Amino acid sequence: MPRVKRGVTARKKHKKILKRTEGHWGARHKLIKTARESMMHALRYSYRDRRNRKRDMRQLWITRINAASRMYGIKYSDLIHGLALAQVDVDRKILADLAVTDLAAFGALAKAARAALDQQKA
Amino acid sequence: MNPKTYSAKRDDLQPRWYIIDAENQILGRLATQAATILRGKHKPTFTPHMNCGDFVIVVNAAKVAVTGKRLDQKIYYRHSQYPGGLKQETLRQVLAKHPERAIERAVKGMLPHNRLGADIRGRLKVYAGPDHPHQAQQPILWQLPTADDVLAQQEQATAAPA
Repeated sequence: MPRVKRGVTARKKHKKILKRTEGHWGARHKLIKTARESMMHALRYSYRDRRNRKRDMRQLWITRINAASRMYGIKYSDLIHGLALAQVDVDRKILADLAVTDLAAFGALAKAARAALDQQKA
Repeated sequence: MNPKTYSAKRDDLQPRWYIIDAENQILGRLATQAATILRGKHKPTFTPHMNCGDFVIVVNAAKVAVTGKRLDQKIYYRHSQYPGGLKQETLRQVLAKHPERAIERAVKGMLPHNRLGADIRGRLKVYAGPDHPHQAQQPILWQLPTADDVLAQQEQATAAPA
């Protein structure tokens, strides 16, 4: 068996970690022990937040849809209820996109929702 | 259709200036309105990580109203950090001494308490009387823009560069 010195692999490992913690604050991208902890936390956060991202986006879409629908004098909850009644099957992602890129098309949907609500009341 | 959710760019932000008249308005209800505008949540292009709101000028802050007995029962606390340094003032005292502060505090408390919030806070201007020094910004009286207005503006914007 040849003799193995540990410096080579240790350096490799350290470099790998420090590469991943580039841009972390202060000692977190300089010192190996803090960098290692910082990396482990960062990986956990990114795993968790890939899942949370779906909720965050949905929340944002709802905020935007609400803003756009209020321009048409209808609030978010009424809009969603009205669309369900009108059997318009457009999800929040698309609604939010329409609100930004094509407000007139969004308006057509808002009017459909309003009509469905009025019809139900009558 | 673009698969990615829209995110406002700095050039997309064109903050407007709005005036809100506080006379006989209920303090908290006025404040939520102002906070919504400041934060930009009245726009379909709302982008949470950017200061995408508009400027808000509140005039007649001294004439703001509250319901019930709050003029004397709503108490503002602060502490000087010295022993026994708790100060308290009723809303009536605050309005008499610094008419702007009641609204400022109410609105600022409704905005995010972080660096972005600090930035947004700077866009709130409160004045005790009916006058304000922001004529140059051509502020307009706040009311929710209707879809027709917005559509007309968008058409203008696309027509202009052509």
